Amino acid sequence: MSAEIILWIVIATALAFDYTNGFHDTANVVATSISTGAARPQVAIAFAALLNFLGAFISISVAATVAKDVVNADVITPTIVFAGLIGAIAWNLITWYFGLPSSSSHALIGGVVGSAVAAVGFDAVIAEGLVGKVLIPAVVAPVLAFLVAGIAIGISYRVVGKQRPGIVSRGYRYGQILSGGLLALAHGTNDAQKTMGVITLALIANGNLGPEADPPFWVIASAATAIALGTYSGGWRIIKTTGTRIIKMDAAQGFSAQGAGAAVILASTHFGFPLSTTHVINGGVMGSGAAKRLSAVRWGVAGNIFVAWLLTLPAAAAIGGLTYGFTRIFGTGALGPILVALMALSLIAVAFARRAQRGAPVTAAGG
Amino acid sequence: MIATIVHTDELLQTVAAASVAGIGVTFAFSVGIWGAGQFAELSRSERPVLATAAALVAIFALACVAGAIGVGIIVMTDK
Repeated sequence: MSAEIILWIVIATALAFDYTNGFHDTANVVATSISTGAARPQVAIAFAALLNFLGAFISISVAATVAKDVVNADVITPTIVFAGLIGAIAWNLITWYFGLPSSSSHALIGGVVGSAVAAVGFDAVIAEGLVGKVLIPAVVAPVLAFLVAGIAIGISYRVVGKQRPGIVSRGYRYGQILSGGLLALAHGTNDAQKTMGVITLALIANGNLGPEADPPFWVIASAATAIALGTYSGGWRIIKTTGTRIIKMDAAQGFSAQGAGAAVILASTHFGFPLSTTHVINGGVMGSGAAKRLSAVRWGVAGNIFVAWLLTLPAAAAIGGLTYGFTRIFGTGALGPILVALMALSLIAVAFARRAQRGAPVTAAGG
Repeated sequence: MIATIVHTDELLQTVAAASVAGIGVTFAFSVGIWGAGQFAELSRSERPVLATAAALVAIFALACVAGAIGVGIIVMTDK
């Protein structure tokens, strides 16, 4: 009975994490379309939410990586997964509160690794999977998006350079409906799968699924729904601050940035690499900006992303490990996770209330 | 050992696929816009044969964009 309660707490926490992931990332997914006037905010956000939902159904490679290639499922328990989720949510909340750009995906993997190490030791971690499928792609993907977007916008300007600006601008704005849609689809497929992977890991750990099982349909559908709802509700909040958050760019740059971001995320997803979609999208935006004018890029934001990238995995791992240790004070039953979940809910409520008093942070935080 | 950890093949395929898709689709879409722009110009200057050719270029380029996206999604869902 106790194990079942913990499992349901894990599932609820994972879906809450998925919701906040969508909530965080709406700005990244729709920003360029809104900035260039390709779509009205309400339309862009609704479209992104729908494609986030559909994207979650097109692949399970990333879910398999999270469930089977990062930590050893044989030694994992639902409480370890729960502590990892709390580590990720806490780090997301801290970075959101202080307006630091961070990756929900790295926080999730860091949290799970940290709690697994605290519970079982370093034997719980599959170093090959962590390094090869998470850390190295985490470095390569944003750089790749930067380069692809930079080359693509250079070619675009050469091809359409002598055309009338009106038709070019209009054409790329229409194109952004497509590229923005692809980016939302890519975001949905990579980010929702991390939640699917974590829930699947908990189901394997609890004995509900076999060690090699894929995510059941209800897991896929619930993760898709949570991220889509998060994207939709997050969007309404950012409409008011959109003007200050977005890098000004023309429609061709927006198309190149979104196309590059979508291409990198979809290709990586195919091979099961769980990326920070935020870092990839920002890489594409910076690439298309740098190709036109180096000073157009907010290099300070790039620096913040780099620092957050360095901090996220160890910080989320530390919180995940501490959370696991705290839950064990109350034994191996459901009491520890229930208390931690209640404390987390209280802290989230306090943080939201205080943030609301101070005003929304201007940040690029997300998946 | 390093190649095993790094997943070199998968990483290189990711780099190749993302580069071809990201740059290729943007190039094809730009050619589509160029074709549409030329079609408008040539139609205005009453050169119907060249205008038709430009329109065909635009249609072909946009068909390539649609095809590339379709193939990409099919490859994703097939795995």
